Amino acid sequence: MADHETVMGIALEEACLTLEQLAAACRVNPAHVTQWVSEGLFPAAGGEAREWRFTTVQLRRARRMSQLERDFDAVPELAALVADLLEEMDQLRSQMRRREPR
Amino acid sequence: MEFKDYYQVLGVARDATAEDIKKAYRKLARKYHPDVSKEPDANARMKEVNEAYAALSDPEKRAAYDQVGRGYQPGQDFRPPPDWDAGFEFSGGGGGFSPEDAADFSDFFSQVFGRMGGGAGPRSGRAANFQARGQDHHAKVMLDVEDAFHGATRQLSLRVPKQDEQGRVRLETRTLEVKVPRGVREGQMIRLAGQGGAGFGGAPAGDLLLEVHFNTHDRYRVEGRDLHVTLPLAPWEAALGAVIPVHTPGGKLEVRIPAGAQAGRQMRVRGKGIPGATPGDLYLDLTIVAPPAESARAKELYETMAREMAFDPRAKGN
Repeated sequence: MADHETVMGIALEEACLTLEQLAAACRVNPAHVTQWVSEGLFPAAGGEAREWRFTTVQLRRARRMSQLERDFDAVPELAALVADLLEEMDQLRSQMRRREPR
Repeated sequence: MEFKDYYQVLGVARDATAEDIKKAYRKLARKYHPDVSKEPDANARMKEVNEAYAALSDPEKRAAYDQVGRGYQPGQDFRPPPDWDAGFEFSGGGGGFSPEDAADFSDFFSQVFGRMGGGAGPRSGRAANFQARGQDHHAKVMLDVEDAFHGATRQLSLRVPKQDEQGRVRLETRTLEVKVPRGVREGQMIRLAGQGGAGFGGAPAGDLLLEVHFNTHDRYRVEGRDLHVTLPLAPWEAALGAVIPVHTPGGKLEVRIPAGAQAGRQMRVRGKGIPGATPGDLYLDLTIVAPPAESARAKELYETMAREMAFDPRAKGN
């Protein structure tokens, strides 16, 4: 059964996700993300974990890392390494798109 | 509805061990990885593979699938027998699937497993005073660059688990009309308050968080709040300077190009990018297009220039 309604979206700040929201979005425990951060595998602004706010770019990295850990039993360091490479590839691809003649 | 042979999707035998299934899944997850795969239908295949793995990697789901699918061939019209799942007790634990997964899975999956565990929230038997805010759900929304300037209304179809009176979880399709405010940027989150998973014990529902992405446009490109537009110029416009009309999603602008403009240069027009409290800038990426020397007169003009301008584009400094 489908219902129909109209809702108003609210645009959020660039860094808007809490640790718990980020962790839930990639189906990992918040402590797992804290571990990534403490091992330097995942960027987070300084301060306490409850003050951290994450962007969608960071969410993308968290999703990639958790997916790699889940799909391939990758250790977090390997997941972070692959995420680094994929992010570099994202950058190069966007540079390439910029140079394509329009 | 067509029957889906999940064993065939993963390329394993019906009596494959859990280890074989995992191995086959990993092989395919690498092959169709959306970031690296060169296969033309990688995304669609990865969804199929994920769906098959979600069904076969969970012992409860696999047992249910084996029972309900006995005798069916791939593509054959599938009708699950009524109350086929009566003999199963589903834990709804780790084998559950998230609303994001469910949104990607087929109707077949939803029909077979939609009533199994997988919906968020406590099962019966938990303390009566249990309270928990509903989960946030995530989805992507594709917009056109123009929508960032004017705002937009988009229709979203969401497949969400809902619990019925018997405590069974079913996937339902909900259609939402979403008003996206103007001024949104690539990667920005839009919150639809209370549109996520239902809360429990009187706690509020979660939010639906939409991640904004822009469709590629043949003239415009957005970077953060800035809008980039390629502006082709005639050689004389670049050399002599000109006032050029530039069409942007925000309207038509008259831009003064200074004399001596060169291809590859960039000009910035402040505040004419994506609107907002701090609006972005408009960047004009200049290119110069040489007119073809097709007519006798055009040829003559080029020859005059060649003779009288003594210009060498390969000389140092050019």
